[in-house]
Amino acid sequence: MRLLDQLDLEPRPLIRAALSTAALGALVALGSRGGRWLDPALLGYLLATLFACFGVSYRYWSWLERPATDMYFQDTLRRFLSPRVLLTLPKLMLLALDQIFLQRFIEKRSVKRWGAHALIAWGCLLGFSVTIPLVFGWVRFTSAGLDPNRYEAWLFGFPAGSFPLGSPVAFITFHILDLAAFMVIAGCTLAFIRRLHDEGDAATQRFDLDLLPLLVLIAVSVTGLLLTVSEKWLGGRNFTTIAFMHELTVIVMLLSLPFGKLFHIVQRPAQLGVTLYKADGEAEGRLPCKGCGALFIRANQRRDLEVLFKRLDLDGARHSPSVHHLDLCPKCKRRLMALAQNQRLGGSFDPFHDVPIYAEPVADPTTFRS
Amino acid sequence: MVGDDFGFYIDPQRCIGCRACVGACAECGTHKGRPMIHLDEIDRLVSTQTTPTVCMHCEDPICAQVCPSDAIKRSEDGVVHSSQKPRCIGCQNCELSCPFGVPIVFSGLEQMMKCDLCYDRTSEGHKPMCATVCPSQALLFVPKHQISAMRQNQPLNEFTIGTLKVRTRTALMVPDPGLPLHLDAALLMVGGGF
Ligand code: SF4
Ligand code: SF4
Repeated sequence: MRLLDQLDLEPRPLIRAALSTAALGALVALGSRGGRWLDPALLGYLLATLFACFGVSYRYWSWLERPATDMYFQDTLRRFLSPRVLLTLPKLMLLALDQIFLQRFIEKRSVKRWGAHALIAWGCLLGFSVTIPLVFGWVRFTSAGLDPNRYEAWLFGFPAGSFPLGSPVAFITFHILDLAAFMVIAGCTLAFIRRLHDEGDAATQRFDLDLLPLLVLIAVSVTGLLLTVSEKWLGGRNFTTIAFMHELTVIVMLLSLPFGKLFHIVQRPAQLGVTLYKADGEAEGRLPCKGCGALFIRANQRRDLEVLFKRLDLDGARHSPSVHHLDLCPKCKRRLMALAQNQRLGGSFDPFHDVPIYAEPVADPTTFRS
Repeated sequence: MVGDDFGFYIDPQRCIGCRACVGACAECGTHKGRPMIHLDEIDRLVSTQTTPTVCMHCEDPICAQVCPSDAIKRSEDGVVHSSQKPRCIGCQNCELSCPFGVPIVFSGLEQMMKCDLCYDRTSEGHKPMCATVCPSQALLFVPKHQISAMRQNQPLNEFTIGTLKVRTRTALMVPDPGLPLHLDAALLMVGGGF
């Protein structure tokens, strides 16, 4: 435990991360038929992926333990454990298409950002969807029997069809990673150009958080492409060195996954849960502000925020037993600041504040005052 | 980095409602085209008084504590930034919990933006947009040692809501800064003396 304290690691997420990694290890063992279908050339990648899984899941589990995250996680958990989930499923799929696959919210933030992000995101996903099954030994390609011109594909150690070497299928299979690399390089370059010209980003970006991940992704893609160049046009010259460089860059990327910006990939699906939560809240209705009467806060969020305030030791923010600070809309909170200043100044906003105002004999239709 | 020796001072009683700050704020590079400053009428039926609201840059920001995505960060210079774009999921916890009603969540963009002291400017030694254009100096960004000579009222950085204490980097000008400013919702109910 002293070591954990020194490293500032929490025991519960640590155990959960270890279990998650063990589960992934078991899936790898199962899918590769006890390791028999693992490619020895890819063992370095496998170890780095398992480490990344441990790091990412540790950070993910710790993140879920934050009281504010827990507020939404519990709601999502309740939703998935209830039979109602079947009714929500079509909506969830649609949301996932919009928010995770098409990422249209980024397009609304900025089209340039969306373009760059889409190339990087889809390039990476394409790359991972090919490499991960290969690294885990779930998919392998061998030459078909003694025929050097045919390739055989194996899925979980079972034959899954063969194709001739020069066929379009072979071309796509062996070059899909090149396509992914081009997408990532183009996306990262666009992102760099955008960051160079954007005064706002220039002021707030940090090299380690915002620029380094782009450089690492470019390094992975360029070394990957160089492998093809060496194989196709240089007769395999320097292939081993390039392969080593590629492995090194990929391992650096995998090891940095839990620490850097790319962690948002696993965080982002939370947006789906929040969107459904908001829809529930709209259906339940909004509550009025206790300062101005305008409807503003969704009933479910009002309840959950009060619980969250208690957990965060903020519950003292009550004006009276019946008025929590959460019951005031943002505008009334802003007005309150000026009103409190005014009170301190002895009403000096209004130099005539102590001249008595008498009610008009005829009610003034423009004022609420009697 | 924003110099530690500079302070932001707001003084709603000086506000004349000209909205110059709103126009200028929208020009800032970190939130292009969208004003982050709020300019509110206190009670239009009884007074022409308006009040500008910028982020108070709390020492222990409640907005960040209630954020499920850990998207709100306070840099070493005490500036609390807009949500980190890759993380914010637009849940509105921050918007509803900020003690001063500052953050704005843009639905559809799933992103919270707020006053960030015009970080592109202040980190390079310029004043925030609003404080540059405010004609009545209701918004003032000056070296801390200058403020006491400039005003009769003095900066106050501590606020209370019920029993909750909030300490801030941005200050409000009051005659008696030794006493925390109590924000009591009862002031809203009685018409606030305007
Ligand atoms: S004033 Fe509101 S938005 Fe600004 S730091 Fe404090 S809690 Fe966050
Ligand atoms: S809207 Fe964004 S920044 Fe605000 S609390 Fe939610 S996730 Fe955090």
